[in-house]
Amino acid sequence: MASQPNGTSTDWPGRYYHIDQVLNTPGPRTDPAFLAGDGVKTFLRNQAKILVIGAGGLGCEILANLALTGFKDIHVIDMDTIDISNLNRQFLFRQKDVGQPKATVAAEFIMKRVPGVKVTPYFGKIQDKDDDYYLQFNLIICGLDSVEARRWMNATLVNLVDPENPESLKPMIDGGTEGFKGQARVILPTITSCYECSLDMLNKPTAFPICTIANTPRLPEHCIEWASVLEWPRVHGDKKMDTDDPDHIGWLYKIAAARAAEFKIEGVTWSLTQGVVKNIIPAIASTNAIIAAACCNEAFKIATSSAAYLNNYFMLIGTDGIYSYTFEHEKRDDCPVCGGEALEMTISSEMTIEQLIETLVEKQDIQIKKPSLSTPTKQIYLQAPPQLEKATRPNLEKKVSELVPPGGEVTVTATTLPFSLSLRISYST
Amino acid sequence: MSFTNSIDIEQSTVVIEAAPDNKTRRYDRQLRLWAASGQSALESSRILVISGSATSTSILKNLVLPGIGHFTILDPEKVTPEDAGNNFFLEGPSSIGKSRAEETVRLLVELNDGVEGKAEMRSLEEVLAKDKEWLSDFTIVIAHNLEAVLLDQLASFLWEDTSNPPLVIVRSSGFLAEVYIQYHEHAVIESHPETTQSLQIDKPFPALLEYAMSLDFENMDVTDHGHIPYVIILVRLLEEWKKTHNGSPPTTYAEKQEFKKSVLKMRKKADEENFEEAEAQAYRAWTTTTVPSEIRELFTEPKVLSLTPTSAPFFHLVHALSRFASTGSYIHLQKLYKARAEEEKAIFKSYLQVPVSEDMVDAFVKNSHALKLLKGKKWGALDADPQALANAVETAPKQLATHLALTALSSFATKQQPNAPLTPTMEALTNEALALLPPGTELPEEFEAAVGEVVRAPTADLPNTAALLGGVVAQEVIKMITKQYIPINGSCIIDLIETWTGVL
Ligand SMILES: [Zn+2]
Repeated sequence: MASQPNGTSTDWPGRYYHIDQVLNTPGPRTDPAFLAGDGVKTFLRNQAKILVIGAGGLGCEILANLALTGFKDIHVIDMDTIDISNLNRQFLFRQKDVGQPKATVAAEFIMKRVPGVKVTPYFGKIQDKDDDYYLQFNLIICGLDSVEARRWMNATLVNLVDPENPESLKPMIDGGTEGFKGQARVILPTITSCYECSLDMLNKPTAFPICTIANTPRLPEHCIEWASVLEWPRVHGDKKMDTDDPDHIGWLYKIAAARAAEFKIEGVTWSLTQGVVKNIIPAIASTNAIIAAACCNEAFKIATSSAAYLNNYFMLIGTDGIYSYTFEHEKRDDCPVCGGEALEMTISSEMTIEQLIETLVEKQDIQIKKPSLSTPTKQIYLQAPPQLEKATRPNLEKKVSELVPPGGEVTVTATTLPFSLSLRISYST
Repeated sequence: MSFTNSIDIEQSTVVIEAAPDNKTRRYDRQLRLWAASGQSALESSRILVISGSATSTSILKNLVLPGIGHFTILDPEKVTPEDAGNNFFLEGPSSIGKSRAEETVRLLVELNDGVEGKAEMRSLEEVLAKDKEWLSDFTIVIAHNLEAVLLDQLASFLWEDTSNPPLVIVRSSGFLAEVYIQYHEHAVIESHPETTQSLQIDKPFPALLEYAMSLDFENMDVTDHGHIPYVIILVRLLEEWKKTHNGSPPTTYAEKQEFKKSVLKMRKKADEENFEEAEAQAYRAWTTTTVPSEIRELFTEPKVLSLTPTSAPFFHLVHALSRFASTGSYIHLQKLYKARAEEEKAIFKSYLQVPVSEDMVDAFVKNSHALKLLKGKKWGALDADPQALANAVETAPKQLATHLALTALSSFATKQQPNAPLTPTMEALTNEALALLPPGTELPEEFEAAVGEVVRAPTADLPNTAALLGGVVAQEVIKMITKQYIPINGSCIIDLIETWTGVL
């Protein structure tokens, strides 16, 4: 049965009438290597194995599209459970599913709705899985809302590439949305620009100056920051703020509203309070549908060679008409993941190690939280374990120029990232 | 000493709202985009979708989830094995042979308890022949891959009367697609622009200027100095600058740099953030506040010039704005100028000739720099205008190529026997397309790639294309219904091979 081009016994005549029109014949922009007909159908329906990261707003859409286009062996990873605020767009979930793992509920729904498709869920983290796990897939589609998780996945897939073994190159298709905006891209690890290469394209999160928050609030957001950043620790001491706890949000809201009244600022609401402290990003079904469809379409074209695929970045803005921009994002030679060259950094000879660390956290194309620093010969500052942190702590106050010669290299690592960054330091003064 | 007090005279009181209810929590992520007003517009809307194709149900999925009020699927057909293979809102083989409208409606309403769905098994022919008025009862009508003659009849009927609903036309074939919205006019107050309104640093109202000039920056204590709002700093510095520069603001690059430096020079301590902010916002000091040209054009709209009591509120509001602007002023709306804004709003309202709700006046005044009035055309206007097509060959060849390929396919199809298999040739479609252009005009170079795809998969409603159209169309429909954000004006062309979209 496995050799049937039309898949398993659950298929019925006419099932693939629509899809087969593009699998039976090439088009003007189809690669000559395309195996029109049974060859490509057998691969798609009986052999291809695809991994979906995330079963949320994009993930639900991705799973449904993949199943309808004929992928039969789909795996999905998600560490979250279903929340009521997911139901306006994550269409595989219902009210009764709130609290259940997304991956499991999504997998069951797809298998029930689309006969003959096997969806294997994993309720957990991508970091739980090893290289062998990722090596079993032909393609990986990411529908994540976390930058950190995407960086991890991207670096893992770049590291997986073994030049001796072409099978080790796993195309990664990445989608992301925010309100009416979104992007879809095709990453061929080590060949095209990678996720890390484009880190500087991310929107910088708005940070309000602490002085404004403490003294001269003008915006409702300033009042909310005052409540969460200054008042919460002052009143509650070490008690951790839980942004999912309605009582905590309620408290912050009341404090922020009183502050706003004092400064005659309008617009502090429950919803805004929650939005600011949880850093909520607006999300709607339609944008997710567009981006997920674009991602799945690329997966389909790559898996079947039925048409040229995206090279390599599609950006969409839907607030004023439908504006999109398709372009080739370029690989960075000094990308810490796929570039191979050290990142040149010119600093003042007065800069301390502590200041350098601050710069690494903030710089748009680096953004490494809690970095540990070392040179080829010595450890400069290590975030962990505690003994080493303590031993290297005195270096924080030292000048970089005391520890690193001009043109010297500093290696930056962080536990959250499966790669290290090399900096070549030069001094401006 | 409090600066905010001096500017905002009005007292505000603390009103604490309760924690959000389940419905608000469900819709939280979208309320952040279109707020309660947009949501209530969605909840009162009634959508008609013609056919229960994969594309149609994908569109409806993205409208049912955010909570439209009602939808009807008009479809007399039974589910075929082909439908069961590509439509997520059918249950595989067990749906085959059942009413396509009933099956898809049943599975779509499951998505949201708050939405009403209805299956209508009449054919569009029958409705157009016997019960046209039924169509007028919807907020918006959506038609996917409708046969060309029928589509023209539908488009003409809806165009005849301006009170009829807009029509969204969706055409797709394999990896290619087109979306068009037929409307006469679409006015948007809340366009959600990326740019903020001018702060009018260049033309401060008298109380603001007087206040800015009255401050004794030098002898102020350090804390107060660090708390002067940046707007006040800029107003003050600009006024001083003008005194020594013949009344002109900084104009050359060098002057602008000098102005910025003088902002920073006023700091008492290196870390005064308000002065840093004033430096960053310094461009506002040499940005002239004028009525944006697009808004000025609205003032001479025929409907504004010939206002009657029954004109839509939008035109009454624009008329009032034009009278307001003619006094040489433009409305201040920033929170910072609250007291002034209230005074001006009262004057603005006195120009209104009909009562308009307070919420609408507020929204209008707040967005008076970003109002939009879109003017649409009847479906088919482009194809009926050979000269416009010839121009598009030059200006938008890629988009036009796909549009012509899809038009050629539908005109080819109307010449066939009904239900005959649709198997067009490159040659036949090329001739159909050429017939639309003025004699001697060549098809765009890109036509061959586009028409080749149409010939390859003439009737393919591919799941990914359907899903993408589902998102695009639903998004435009939401913008039309909520009258927020700006919908497309014309055709949106989609190519899912190179993955681009374009406007024609
Ligand atoms: Zn890279």
